[in-house]
Amino acid sequence: MKIVKSVMAALALGLMSSTAASAGDVRLMWYSDGVEGEVIKDLVGRFMKENPDVNVILDNVAYKVVQEQLPIQLEAGQGPDIARVTNLKTIAQHWLDLTPHIKDPAYWQANFGNEFDWMRPDGSKAITGFMTQITLTGGFANKTLFEQAGVPLPGPKATWDEWVDAAAKVQASQKLPAAFAIDRSGHRISGPNVSYGANYIKPDGSPAPVDAGVKAFAEKLVKWTAEGKHMKEVWVSAAGSTYRAAAEDFINAQIAYYYSGSWQIANLETKIGNSFDWVATGTPCGTKGCSGLAGGAALVAIKYTKNPKDVGRVMDFLAREDIVKEFTERTLFLPAHKGVIAKGNLDFKSNNPAVKAALQKYVAATADIMPAAAALPAWKWATPYYGALVTRISQVMAGELKLDEAFARMDKDIADQVAQAK
Amino acid sequence: MGQITLSGISKNFGAVQVLEGIDLDIRKGELVVFVGPSGCGKSTLLRLIAGLDKPTGGTIAIDGRDVTPVPAADRGLAMVFQSYALYPHMSVRQNMAFGLENAHLPRPEIDARIAEASRMLEIAKLLDRRPGQLSGGQRQRVAIGRAIVRNPTAFLLDEPLSNLDAELRVSMRAELAALHQRLGTTMVYVTHDQVEAMTLADRIVVLRAGRIEQVDTPLALFNAPANVFVAGFIGAPNMNFIQGVVRGPVEGGVAVTAFDGRVVPVDAAAGALAPGDAVTLGVRPHHLRRVGPDEGLPVTVHLVEALGAETVVHGRTAEGQRILAVLAGQEPLASGDVIALAFERRQTHAFDKDGLRVAGN
Amino acid sequence: MAGVLGRAAGVLAAPVAWAAALVDRPMRAWQNATGTNGMAAVFLAPNMLIFGVFVLFPLVINIAYSMTGGTALFLPDRTFVGAAQYERLLSCADYTDPKTCEEDQFWIAVRNTGVFVVFQVALMTVVAVVTALILNREIRGRSFWRAVFFFPVLLSPVVVGLIWRWILQRDGLLNAALFQLGFTPHVWLTDRFWAFAAAIGVSIWAHVGFYALIVLAGLQAIPKDLYEAAEMDGTKPGRVFWRITLPLLMPNLLVVIVLALIRAVQIFDEVFVLTGGGPGTSTMFLTQYIYEVGFASLLKNPGLASAASILMGGVLVVLTLVQLAVARRNEAKGKRQ
Repeated sequence: MKIVKSVMAALALGLMSSTAASAGDVRLMWYSDGVEGEVIKDLVGRFMKENPDVNVILDNVAYKVVQEQLPIQLEAGQGPDIARVTNLKTIAQHWLDLTPHIKDPAYWQANFGNEFDWMRPDGSKAITGFMTQITLTGGFANKTLFEQAGVPLPGPKATWDEWVDAAAKVQASQKLPAAFAIDRSGHRISGPNVSYGANYIKPDGSPAPVDAGVKAFAEKLVKWTAEGKHMKEVWVSAAGSTYRAAAEDFINAQIAYYYSGSWQIANLETKIGNSFDWVATGTPCGTKGCSGLAGGAALVAIKYTKNPKDVGRVMDFLAREDIVKEFTERTLFLPAHKGVIAKGNLDFKSNNPAVKAALQKYVAATADIMPAAAALPAWKWATPYYGALVTRISQVMAGELKLDEAFARMDKDIADQVAQAK
Repeated sequence: MGQITLSGISKNFGAVQVLEGIDLDIRKGELVVFVGPSGCGKSTLLRLIAGLDKPTGGTIAIDGRDVTPVPAADRGLAMVFQSYALYPHMSVRQNMAFGLENAHLPRPEIDARIAEASRMLEIAKLLDRRPGQLSGGQRQRVAIGRAIVRNPTAFLLDEPLSNLDAELRVSMRAELAALHQRLGTTMVYVTHDQVEAMTLADRIVVLRAGRIEQVDTPLALFNAPANVFVAGFIGAPNMNFIQGVVRGPVEGGVAVTAFDGRVVPVDAAAGALAPGDAVTLGVRPHHLRRVGPDEGLPVTVHLVEALGAETVVHGRTAEGQRILAVLAGQEPLASGDVIALAFERRQTHAFDKDGLRVAGN
Repeated sequence: MAGVLGRAAGVLAAPVAWAAALVDRPMRAWQNATGTNGMAAVFLAPNMLIFGVFVLFPLVINIAYSMTGGTALFLPDRTFVGAAQYERLLSCADYTDPKTCEEDQFWIAVRNTGVFVVFQVALMTVVAVVTALILNREIRGRSFWRAVFFFPVLLSPVVVGLIWRWILQRDGLLNAALFQLGFTPHVWLTDRFWAFAAAIGVSIWAHVGFYALIVLAGLQAIPKDLYEAAEMDGTKPGRVFWRITLPLLMPNLLVVIVLALIRAVQIFDEVFVLTGGGPGTSTMFLTQYIYEVGFASLLKNPGLASAASILMGGVLVVLTLVQLAVARRNEAKGKRQ
């Protein structure tokens, strides 16, 4: 078996793009939503100055690579030494337990411990990495368009219907192609689903069939798409569970309202600049609440690294409170570091008052997270659930399935995944 | 039916003038042969008559009707191509029926014509075969059959025998002649082989560099070629040409100094030539006969080709003039022998300085 | 120029001859030892090795994969399930309605691919023949037009997909042009019919030049005097095409059709970039299905993807055998003529 495994690994080596790291080399696979690439490059450079014996090789890749190619590399026992990943729980078996390699596990536990369950197998006590940011799903509104249309922005406890109707009025007045858009992602609609009373998790931890909450929001979403209010291309011009963001449409002022999340803030700031005024709105309310979905990317250490000691040193550096604070301020993210949050006084590096306001709004919105949503990042069946939701709902939007058929299919898709893993 | 008139036909492809000033009258039922060296325009002329190309100038009339603007399909002519151009994916029967189907003839009529033509050409057993399964001679007959069934106003044949081997060529030649006798339809035949021309033609049209050199019956061309070119082209082996200078008049002609000062009398009209004029004499190899020494022209033999029925002798005169003679029977000659040759005055052709036949010759 | 080459040849002659002499003795000895066939085997070995490692070995492993289940990607970690994956793929209450199938996405992909193959190959053959007929004529700038038609064949499929997406998207070139001309723009790529039509159209555009070239070669092989004979026979142009050109073109057309079929079954790149398989799943074809299920989807199932790819491979093997038979028949016919 060992021999076979190493032969396979050698073959995979030939086929995969990652080359073997030698002692002193630490490969870091990174993706960016906005400006994080520059920031991490800078920080890594500083680490190498302080630690000249460690060579950190920074690989800036597209999100798709991390989402689709990294799992394959990991399965082959290859891959980088550290990676920035969002799909933390499902492939948690590949993360390295850093506990023997970091200076002060207690520091880590105190400041990042809340989210450790998001990035380790159930029941494990390993420290595999830390959240580079906490993200929260929520909406953005194009204030300028609303003003031009003479439509007042709905209030803080406005429902989805109210937001969509308001955006529709703006659409009609300003001749926009659509009123609003949600990213093509099951993760994105989970907050709204929960706001309508959905709970994906059965008491024993296995996936529950799609319930009234999911059905309610799915029905609305399909209806809004049919009415032309929700921008059709976002969900319909891809198949399966392919991710598509509607950020460009919002940046180009094609839609009045955009439901995405806090990680977009830096991106929006850079790309929109002064073109128009925009605000963050939190998650519109459903019948049971106004919950977004927490998440975020974490920097995790990979089990198959050849230099766990050096990996530990890099992680220690990047997890340092001052480094985290600087990272947060420059990338305009919400921090996960408890100490940084507690001390407050974050000096976000942005001249745009909208950015600061948006970030405050998101911080405030964390209070609205409902329990059913809070449990999701740590749940191992979350990813298949998201996949099933987005695949089948987009088929309904395209007119291929009826809603009832879609719901039945969703349950089946999820059950298949569960059965496979047995 | 089948009378074709060409008036002032000229054809050029871009800057290249291929045919010029062609006037020709083909009588109905005639077998006319276009003959000439490669590139003389004979095939082009045939294609103009067929309608596959349009003349740059001049008109073509068939049975009095001007067909110059009429497309090939509507001229009522049938063509036999050099490469036969049989449809390779159709059977012989379908090949022959194709043109008739285009004319929407009723089925019984088509079958009758095919039966008749295939009987005539002895290809009845081949009707269901594909061209690829036939020999060269069989294909040729199918091509002819395809033309026959159309009952055309005239047949146009473009070097139909040149792809056959020598033996087949001879027998097919005879068959074509017999066919023409039988059908009585006008045939326009193109070849580069003057033997074919001589044996098949009612009249021969000799072409060179896009112009007609002479039109006449085969024997007339042989006996009285209009110019040096025709004289040299018709008849094999080629006529011997000797340069000479007119010396003075003699009875019924002029005396010409040729060879090493010999005086050769030739027939000519009075006043046609003046003393001092350059003249080309022509004598056919078959008209040279061997005489005793001092009775004729001394010729040193270089090469002897013994053909059994006759002997071809290549030689040179003392001045280096080449002479070719065809002597009857088998002459025991060898290279280096000197023989004396003589020829008749009435068989001596004379051409003036422009290469044209001297009047009265 | 000739002088330089001559001098270079002169300078190189001696060392080349010396190197050749060096190698000569061992080569001859080797050949004496193993014979010509032995030597040939050794020279072929590296290529066979590459073929074995990168084609044969993965093929065998793929077959093994198709009989396993579980979520692990690593083969030894997977569980053996026999033909369960195939069973799952092939179990349908009604084969004409994907919704009744266990694996509905697979059957949607199969149906889409089937419809695509039929229409795309038929249309493309017609377009290729028409194009070749036009390019065969004595038109001005013929070489230029031939290059223009062939150019898309040289483009990478991703480039092709992107170009057409930019033309067909909501704010793309086509809609801009329609708007200028006073028509109402339409969001082509979110319309199930138009997205499918676009998939067919774009793939024809990208590949027809290649097939037109094959047909053109066939056209030029038809002797000119056959057309002249047909003219003398009084044949109308339409009949010339149907009774002479087309039958003589048949061998080429068969080659074109089979090649096009084989390629059409594997359609992926251009369409994936153009529509992503959407709207919904209306332009999702077999290859994309296998890719999604095997690698990209959040609902991965590698064993199922392997089974689907084996089934698809079976179809392609059949088509390839047909192609070989056609080629052999053409060769025989050519020899006979």
